Amino acid sequence: MLGKLTWSAIPFDQPIPLVAAALVGLVLLGVIAWVVLAGYFPYLWREWITSVDHKRIGVMYVLLGLVMLIRGFSDAILMRSHQALAYNAPGYLPPEHYDQIFSAHGTIMIFFGAMPFMIGLMNFVVPLQLGVRDVAFPTLNSVSFWLTATGALLVNVSLVIGEFARTGWWPSPPLSEITYSPGVGVDYYLWAIQISGIGTLMSGVNLVTTILKMRAPGMSYLRMPMFCWTALASNLLIIAAFPILTATLAMLTLDRYLGFHFFTDEAGGNSMLFMNLFWAWGHPEVYILALPAYGIFSEVISTFSGKPLFAYRSMVWATLAICLLSFTVWLHHFFTMGPGGDVNGVFGITSMIIAVPTGVKIFDWMFTMYGGRVRFTTPMLWSVAFVVTFVVGGATGVLLAIPPADFVLHNSLFLVAHFHNVMVSAVVFAAFAGYTYWFPKAFGFTLDEWWGKAAFWFSLVGYVWVFTPLYVVGLMGMTRRMQHFSVAEWYPWIVAASLGVIVMFAGVVCQVVQLVVSIRRREHLRDLTGDPWDGRSLEWATASPPPSFNFAVMPHVEGEEAYWAIKQRAREQARLREEPDYEPVEMPLNSPTGFVCAFFATLVGFAMIWHIWWLAALGLAGAFATFVVFAWRDRVEYEIPAEAVARINRLNRASRLEALQQARRKEAA
Amino acid sequence: MSQTDDRAHADVAPGDEYAHEEFGSGLRSYLIGLGLALLLTAASFWVAQTKVMWAPAIPVALLTFAIAQMGVHLVFFLHLTSGPDNTNNIMALAFGVLIVFLLFGGSVWIMHHMNTNMMMPAEGGAPMPMQHQGGGHH
Repeated sequence: MLGKLTWSAIPFDQPIPLVAAALVGLVLLGVIAWVVLAGYFPYLWREWITSVDHKRIGVMYVLLGLVMLIRGFSDAILMRSHQALAYNAPGYLPPEHYDQIFSAHGTIMIFFGAMPFMIGLMNFVVPLQLGVRDVAFPTLNSVSFWLTATGALLVNVSLVIGEFARTGWWPSPPLSEITYSPGVGVDYYLWAIQISGIGTLMSGVNLVTTILKMRAPGMSYLRMPMFCWTALASNLLIIAAFPILTATLAMLTLDRYLGFHFFTDEAGGNSMLFMNLFWAWGHPEVYILALPAYGIFSEVISTFSGKPLFAYRSMVWATLAICLLSFTVWLHHFFTMGPGGDVNGVFGITSMIIAVPTGVKIFDWMFTMYGGRVRFTTPMLWSVAFVVTFVVGGATGVLLAIPPADFVLHNSLFLVAHFHNVMVSAVVFAAFAGYTYWFPKAFGFTLDEWWGKAAFWFSLVGYVWVFTPLYVVGLMGMTRRMQHFSVAEWYPWIVAASLGVIVMFAGVVCQVVQLVVSIRRREHLRDLTGDPWDGRSLEWATASPPPSFNFAVMPHVEGEEAYWAIKQRAREQARLREEPDYEPVEMPLNSPTGFVCAFFATLVGFAMIWHIWWLAALGLAGAFATFVVFAWRDRVEYEIPAEAVARINRLNRASRLEALQQARRKEAA
Repeated sequence: MSQTDDRAHADVAPGDEYAHEEFGSGLRSYLIGLGLALLLTAASFWVAQTKVMWAPAIPVALLTFAIAQMGVHLVFFLHLTSGPDNTNNIMALAFGVLIVFLLFGGSVWIMHHMNTNMMMPAEGGAPMPMQHQGGGHH
């Protein structure tokens, strides 16, 4: 009846995961109880859970990303503190648990921390920057988000029911095959990634279609803000690369469930092919995350330097070059597996070449700041710190691209330090730069600067403090994923890295405090005009938070930096644009399709992991039925009358006019 | 009726310019496509089964017919044209072909080298299956 699921699946003998899960479960139950008892549930259901508004979905993506970043960070705390106690000692995590933690850390950080954060920011910002009212397929967008949430849920369920993979975040066969990993850990990995992968792919299709087909009148490709360009490149990569991951993991699933031999190293199978295919997705994935990050830095640096982005077109070309080149370097993840000198040479050179367009970008950012009036706000601090630290990470990357050097350094903590160096400084810094930068747009008030700067400085110092010792100890020969060690020279560096984690932890605490403080002080931090940073692109042309239809009338774009031109004209003429003729706006109706589909997908995933076949069939039937019901719906849109549109827009115009006159009075005084 | 109009509008994917095309011209293009596809298929069988062509050239001819077949499908069934409204589709096709080429060509090349360098000969000296596949590439 319940397949492989029995009471023994719950790790009663392991206090750490059980207590942690019990705490999380209690908090979760408390939140749900509070929501229901306080009567917020109908609001939550109507306005958020069933919402097909790209802004709401974007916010929910970012929230998921934030929670999962903290979840992944708690794994990092466990690993670092364990290693600090594991010199000539067993540490406090048994090996099979330690293995699960480093696997979960990588999986969660990449798939459920970084990806939702970046996709969330793209979802929220891209339609606003393009001057349109929604993404191309709003309900599909909701389905994408909830399927991603399903994947995150499954990974976290593995904490209490069963186990997670012990294979690392890429489940390399033959270790991940049923012979060597007979438990459900790898199955949790497979179904969580497959289900959320469907969501990611649909989200990629959605955003590419939006950018290619739905720009405001006059918004030609070379007038798009840089973030839209990097979002386009990133989503093209999603469409091209994620099917490779899906197919590869499907083959591993067939091996595990139906006795196939794709990667078993017997009966004609070949485990090296898994590594080849996995990294053919894995390297583009790096740029799927990094490209939107570059876009965020471009927006932030340009805004807070008070200048247009330097050499916009070179930035566009660099973005497209990275998009293409990212598909030509994947072998550098397995130089040492034995492809030989010829193959290694070619991929070593391509790996160095991809640093060139990235270098172009670095110079463009520096020249954007050069000669500008730089305002060192929190988003700008994250961006400047990125430029500096990313150059170090890039340099060690070019070093590792040399195959002979890679033979010395592969699988060492030097490698671990390198990819954390680039991923944290690009993706995490960009995530928090973007979060602080666009938060007022989403909620109508800015985040507290003092706590933001404290969070930044603790995070930056902590991050350098953690990973510099890891570079050193990696050069001394320490390999990654060691459960215990007995080399005296390594010990002080490992302790140093652990101390750095404490500093990073302070950064995380400040980030949380910043949110709480800002919500409490929201009346002081209110953004009335919708343009708190003196921005340059169209998202600042509408109110904060934007109305559900984003723009009362579609903006006409006449050049690069669409909003800057409008604003300059308003400042020169000391008045706003003519009031437009308002027309009724049609917006898509909310739909529970996404949530219901994800509910059934969760059933399918859980049932497949535990071999509960009837439940899997039921879940599939339910998901299909949901799709049929949605396809047969009678009403798809609702109309917002012109008077309502006018009323909402006049409110924003009034506060903008006041700000304009205030600025003029200040100038005159 | 307004509801049906609403639906028809909502179900048209962005970029789908063919929804409002007249029935007659659409049908004609499909029929031409079908004719060409059948012709190319028949030609392939004819070339392979008769002595009309110099034997070593037959694979090349079959390859040519296959590529032409793909072209017919793209133009007549998937409506890929050189018109200005089709730039996105052409670019998408080019991007897709390039990625498939990089991935497939790269994988065959990499796997061939790795098998040659790394795989132990199987017992009894039988060649490894992947080695055979890789060898076929040369």
